[in-house]
Amino acid sequence: MNLYLQLFLQFFHVGVFSFGGGYATLPFLYDIAEKFHWYTPKQLTDMLAISSITPGPVGVNVATFAGFTTSGILGALIATTAVILPSFIIVTIISKALDKFKTNRTVKGAIRGLKAAGCALLSAVGIKLIFTSNLHLLGTLLLIALLISGFFKKQDPLIYLGLSALIGLILGHFNWIGV
Amino acid sequence: MLYNKVMDKNFYGIFKTFFKVGTLLLGGGYVILPLLTSELVDKKKWITSEELCEFYALGASLPGIIAANTAIFTGRKLLGTKGAIAATVGMVLPAFLAIVLFASILSELITKPSIQHIFWGVGIGVIVLLFLAVKEMWKKSVTDEFSLLTYTICLALALSGKIPPSITVIFALFFGIFWQKIEDKKQNKGGKEI
Repeated sequence: MNLYLQLFLQFFHVGVFSFGGGYATLPFLYDIAEKFHWYTPKQLTDMLAISSITPGPVGVNVATFAGFTTSGILGALIATTAVILPSFIIVTIISKALDKFKTNRTVKGAIRGLKAAGCALLSAVGIKLIFTSNLHLLGTLLLIALLISGFFKKQDPLIYLGLSALIGLILGHFNWIGV
Repeated sequence: MLYNKVMDKNFYGIFKTFFKVGTLLLGGGYVILPLLTSELVDKKKWITSEELCEFYALGASLPGIIAANTAIFTGRKLLGTKGAIAATVGMVLPAFLAIVLFASILSELITKPSIQHIFWGVGIGVIVLLFLAVKEMWKKSVTDEFSLLTYTICLALALSGKIPPSITVIFALFFGIFWQKIEDKKQNKGGKEI
C-alpha cells in the first residue's frame, strides 16, 4: 500500500480510538511503532519529551513528528490532518444532537467504559516502556524516586524532564549508564 | 471598542486568536481551558465561561485530542464550520511548525553523546509523567466495581500484546453500554417495589 495512504489510515485510526486526552494517544502510537517500524518505541519517548517542551497538544506533536520522520514534510502534514479529522467529524455530528448526547443513558455507559479503557491502555504502555527502555540500575532508582515524589506532590512537568535530563547528562559523562 | 471586537469574529480573527492559544499551549493540552478562558471569555467576550466549560467537558468525553475537540466546538459556535476550521488550523499550526523545525535539526543533534545522555534521562522523566497522567485518569475513571473490572480486563488485554488497542476500546464501549442497561433495569425495578 502507498506509504502516504498508510500514514493517513493509521493516524486517522489514532484519532478515532484514543480516549482520555493528552497521553491517551500513546498506546496507539506504540502499537504503530511495533507494527510498522516507522519509528522505534525509544524514538517515541524522545518524541514525547520534545512534545513536552514545544507548543501544542502532545497527540498532535507526536503525529507531526512521526509523519515527518517517516516521509518528510508531506508525511507530517498527512499524519497531522489524519489525527484531527475524526475529531472534526465526530464533533460536527454531536453538535447537531447535543442535548440527546448529554442525557442519553447508552452514551453515559459507553463513556464510563471508554474512560476506564483509556486509563488501562496508558498503564500498559507505561509498563511496556519500563521493560523496553535501557534503564539499568541507576535509571530504575531515578524512576522510583521521581515516581514516589510525584505521587505525593505533583510538580510542573518540566521539572521532571529537566531534572532527569540533568541526571542523564551527569551519569553519562562518567560513563555510568552505558548509552 | 465593542464594534472592533465583534468585527474580529471572522475567519482570520478566529484563526489569529487560536494561533495565539496554540503557541502558548506548552507541556501538553492540559492548560487549554485557562488559556481559552483568558482569550475568548475575558479579552474577546465571544462566549461565556459556562459555554466554554461545557465545550471542554464535551471535548473530554469524545475520542481524539481534547484540545482539538474543544477548539472545534468553540469554533463552530463562533462561525459554524468555517469557524471550526479556523480554530483548528490556528491551534494546530504552531505545534506543527515547532515540531517540523525540531525534527529537522534532531537527526544531527542525536549523534552527539551528551545529547544521547540527555535523552536517556528525559526518557525516564517521560515515564514518570506518563504514570502521573495514569494517576489523574484513574481518579476520574475508576470509581466503582464496573470501572475497576473494565480497567483490569483492558489492562490484561493490552499487556497480552496480541490484542490491538482499538479492539480493547471497542470491548470497553460495549461492556459499558451493557453494564449501564443492567444498572438502569435494577434501578427501575427497585423504584417499582417501593
